[in-house]
Amino acid sequence: MAPWRLIYNPKGDAADVVSYGAALAEGRIVGKYQLSNEELSDAVVIQSVKRKSIVAGADVSVDRKRAAQENIDVAFAPRQGRRGAKPLGSVFLSELMSNASPRFDAEERDVDEPAALLYTSGTTGKPKGVMLTHRNFISQCRDICAHIFPLYSSDRVVLVLPLYHVYGLANGLVAGIFFGCGLSMIPQYSPQTLLDSIREARATCLIAVPIMYNHLVTLSRRKKAEIPQSLRVSVSGGAPLPAETLKEFERVFDTRILEGYGLTETTSAVSLNESGEKYKPGSIGPAAPGVEMKVFDESDREVPDGNEGEIVIRGDVVTRGYWNLPEETAATIIDGWLHTGDLGYRDEDGYFFITDRKKDLIIRGGYNISPREVEEVLYSHHDIEEAAVIGVPDKRGEEIVKAFVVLKEGEQADEKSILEFCNQHLTGFKVPRSVEFRDSLPKNATGKVLHKELRGESSDEDRMITREG
Amino acid sequence: MAFGLFGKKKKVQGENGSGEFHSDQPMALGVMLEETVRKHKKKEALIYEGKTYSYQDVDQQANRVANGLKALGIQPGDRVAIMLPNIPEFAFSFFGIQKLGAVAVPFNTLYKGREIIHILNDSQARAVITLTNSANLFNEIKSDCPNFEHLILTGQRTLVFLEPDGAVNVQIVCGSSTFESGDDAFQKLGTVFVGVLNELGVEDAWYKHQGAVRVGGKKIANIIINEIENLYVINAVCFLDTLHTDDFFKVIYVTPELKDKAVEPMTSVHEVTGALPSLETFRDIFTRRLSEELGIEIEPGHLKRDEKFGYEKNRAVAYKT
Repeated sequence: MAPWRLIYNPKGDAADVVSYGAALAEGRIVGKYQLSNEELSDAVVIQSVKRKSIVAGADVSVDRKRAAQENIDVAFAPRQGRRGAKPLGSVFLSELMSNASPRFDAEERDVDEPAALLYTSGTTGKPKGVMLTHRNFISQCRDICAHIFPLYSSDRVVLVLPLYHVYGLANGLVAGIFFGCGLSMIPQYSPQTLLDSIREARATCLIAVPIMYNHLVTLSRRKKAEIPQSLRVSVSGGAPLPAETLKEFERVFDTRILEGYGLTETTSAVSLNESGEKYKPGSIGPAAPGVEMKVFDESDREVPDGNEGEIVIRGDVVTRGYWNLPEETAATIIDGWLHTGDLGYRDEDGYFFITDRKKDLIIRGGYNISPREVEEVLYSHHDIEEAAVIGVPDKRGEEIVKAFVVLKEGEQADEKSILEFCNQHLTGFKVPRSVEFRDSLPKNATGKVLHKELRGESSDEDRMITREG
Repeated sequence: MAFGLFGKKKKVQGENGSGEFHSDQPMALGVMLEETVRKHKKKEALIYEGKTYSYQDVDQQANRVANGLKALGIQPGDRVAIMLPNIPEFAFSFFGIQKLGAVAVPFNTLYKGREIIHILNDSQARAVITLTNSANLFNEIKSDCPNFEHLILTGQRTLVFLEPDGAVNVQIVCGSSTFESGDDAFQKLGTVFVGVLNELGVEDAWYKHQGAVRVGGKKIANIIINEIENLYVINAVCFLDTLHTDDFFKVIYVTPELKDKAVEPMTSVHEVTGALPSLETFRDIFTRRLSEELGIEIEPGHLKRDEKFGYEKNRAVAYKT
């Protein structure tokens, strides 16, 4: 066998990283060039770069001007073609598609079969698959969107929210297709990209979360002339939108914001607080047409208006349940009423207000975080005896994860190493932002950690036990 | 219909367009798309980076996905996971899955190994549609997910950072017959890297299968193996020194969460041992161990004429704006 060649390139550049392997492979592919009959043996390239370098895929957006200023070398890796090199054990979607017919008559499905499973965290550990049926999605379009924020085929909707989240999927993609809208897709959010997309698409509808409205308002203060005026209606959800942000956004963008409330288990929106005359600050609005919304006490009896209880929801948008979890499903959906875990009340006008969360769930930017899931990771740390996490508000009022930790005797782990450990095992938004070391954690009579007490709230032990039990 | 609701300032055009063209009964989502297509065939459906796709385009692409998945053996009721950002392929995949009558399992693109394993096993997804640069992530966990058969890749979001003296890039192009199988290639390369790192003083480097060489939970080297015709194209990066990633993020905007994902916890030879080996040292140890592991001779060489031609062409493409 011919010896391998060693190609040593100690002071290369970003393009070399893209080019050597490709050149060596292309040279060997039958019929590619054949300029000469030289024997092309196997080869190994060992190389480094002479200045900071980025090798970016064709779909990554890089600020090249800034890169030049920072003296960073940027090379783009080409999009792999159908016959290009592909990772072992995989198939390219483009290859699969080009070999397939563009004709297919949709299978008739029972509309009560799941169309999607969306995974969401509860309080008890690992994410659960919420079964959303065809009927659920269609009901969200026809019963809810059509009445509380109707979309028209002339609308151009900005899809900036991730489509793997119920809000972007049900209200953005599926509703957009149902109503025949034009959908402008943004793969990677930045405030500037969003603003540019609204302008370039002459978007008439924006579906976003409070932090994005906040960013756009901040950006608009700097770039007054460039503010597009095309938005007809904007929808906010996932977290409460501060009234000042709402007003300023409406004024600057000449639009109206509708604030929605919903859950993965309800295929997104079930109520809407509409700005204008009907707006009530702090409310999630009245129930949308087609859904029933009530406030129940601990024994599932409806409480009088103004009294606190758990918000429950019934209707065609409510999930059939959690995938392969009949017990959790039975505990959450009782007689068709989905128990949201949100505590609140209804006022005399039928507007709902949320006061607290029954579960110890942490919600960050519209994503549920299970304290249990984070705690289980902490418990798997060698030095940790006990751990509990809670949500605490950051400077902007968004919830962030805070961990309380009791170390095993004689162990020395510090905050940095614990946070790094979490970062290895959890998605970024679930990783605690801080760790507080304690000698012990507050517990109730049955030994359950009192998260409420860690949050600094008064705790009535008996009440805690009945509520959590 | 609440037509009057938004009429104050901005009139909507085509008020009859609010979904009335659909049949009255609830329908499957694949049928729903077909109904919209009948009404709005040529109308724009998706706008992405200056390109538009009509409703007919979306329908045909979804049909191709449905037929493609069917050809892989995916059946109505099967679960197909999607881990994609908002790109047209998400819409094609989601509605392709609906047309086939399968169940879509879209999940967070930021999820890491153990979260993904849970979702794939819980849903028993048989296929995953994801970005090309997530291939390694899925290959690494494949052995933990018995139901997961098909890795389907799209898009190109590779992101590699390199610094002088900090990172070394190793590329190998060889006949695939050099190895018994893809697994064998991953295993041998892993063995070589762990051996090199041991020799450089990183004693607890370990390698499980397919992808990352780690120290504790942190990545110190990464191996990607691509296949083209009868060749393996192996691309690896090994960190001799710790990267200063903040500089790179000045030129690429990523949200804090994404940034966290892009920079998986990493370590380097320098960080572990306190000494920074030279590139020559790495080269000498690596070539010796590679030749021992594969039973081959390695001699200093250069690109041949045909290869130089390809090299210049690829460089031009890499720097094209």
